[in-house]
Amino acid sequence: MKRIIAALGAASLALLLLLLARTLPPTDASIVPAVEPDQATLHTLQSRYRSLSKQLAQLMPGQPYIVVDTARNHLYIKRRDHVMLDALASTGSGTILDKPGEAKGQWIFDTPRGEFMVQTKLVNPVWVKPDWAFVEEGLAIPKTAADRIEPGVLGEYALGFGKGYFIHGTLYPRLLGKNVTHGCIRLNDDDLKSVYRLARVGTPIMIF
Amino acid sequence: MLRHPARLVLLVVLLLPPMASPSPRAAEGDNIFAIDINDPAALQEANRILAEEIKLAARPQTYVILDLVARSVVIKGRGAELHRLPIEQWSAVHLADASSTFRLQARPPVARHKIEPAAGDEQPPVSLEDMPSDFTLVFSPSLLVAVHPSAAEDIWRWLRFTAREWWSWLKDWGRRLMTGNEPAVQPVLRLTLAPHHAQSLAWTVTEGMPFLVRRTSSPPS
Repeated sequence: MKRIIAALGAASLALLLLLLARTLPPTDASIVPAVEPDQATLHTLQSRYRSLSKQLAQLMPGQPYIVVDTARNHLYIKRRDHVMLDALASTGSGTILDKPGEAKGQWIFDTPRGEFMVQTKLVNPVWVKPDWAFVEEGLAIPKTAADRIEPGVLGEYALGFGKGYFIHGTLYPRLLGKNVTHGCIRLNDDDLKSVYRLARVGTPIMIF
Repeated sequence: MLRHPARLVLLVVLLLPPMASPSPRAAEGDNIFAIDINDPAALQEANRILAEEIKLAARPQTYVILDLVARSVVIKGRGAELHRLPIEQWSAVHLADASSTFRLQARPPVARHKIEPAAGDEQPPVSLEDMPSDFTLVFSPSLLVAVHPSAAEDIWRWLRFTAREWWSWLKDWGRRLMTGNEPAVQPVLRLTLAPHHAQSLAWTVTEGMPFLVRRTSSPPS
């Protein structure tokens, strides 16, 4: 009996909300200001539209550019609207790690969003392990730079785009397609080679 | 002519530009929004958006256009489209006042996992599934964008959203009745997206990100 009453109550509530939804405050009937449709105005508007459209088109990258979709973990190389490469990638995990000895200091392992550009192109790069790599493993931060060097983990190529972030290879291709990195963008060997070949220093990287 | 190969080269160089086809970039740019160029209201709004977008596209940043005409949320950079999320439904109040570039004040909160170095186990990463699908974006200058997931996917969420909207409207009405004052006018845009698209939008937006709203002359169907 209680169940029937609860079901009837829920159904009545749903019906009431549906009825109320139909009477919600109305949308502005016309939200774009009206324009007098005379021929001269129309002609001016048309000329301005063509001119502005051309100006915007000229701002689009003329050379290939890199697009990184961090939500779906894909890296694309595009030339205008044509996709030259669609590669499965790994991007930042979004996890956080406390900085030792700092009350409020934290590392946030996000891939940065916005527009960047390829700043360096490296062959057979070595990883200079940052502080967080030691802290994460529960190890002491080394005193000398030589103790930070770890070759062979970044793949054959690396493309730096600033603040220590790179597009590089991976030892764990099974993790491609997942958000697992500390902010860098990982690719498999073949895709990394293609990106290295197609990108130049100065190539825009748009990350969203 | 053959005795003067330099002249021949010069002639070819001079003749080439007029013979070449027009720049594809210029041709592409002729009708970016694919609008009816005989509709003055649509042209005026498109021109306003283009003028604002040119300023945004000139800087190294990503930005968002809430395109109510094309019913899409378009993520862009340098004028190039990076991603598009379809809008299933929308409604708006006081949107006639929303004609500038809006900066997002805060992105929806993200539940991040903390790495415990001593524990030694991997922390699960933040993924798209962790993002909210029902959230509000607050902008400066004043604009509120309420995003909620489509009813077809989750009727209870939709009921909750509708109840909340009604409660807010009722509070405004009550306040007006008690004080006799009209509440401050704030443009509000309500977007209904498929849940995974709403989560995708929550993921994509960042603090300070510029947004433009392309308005329409016809009410939403």
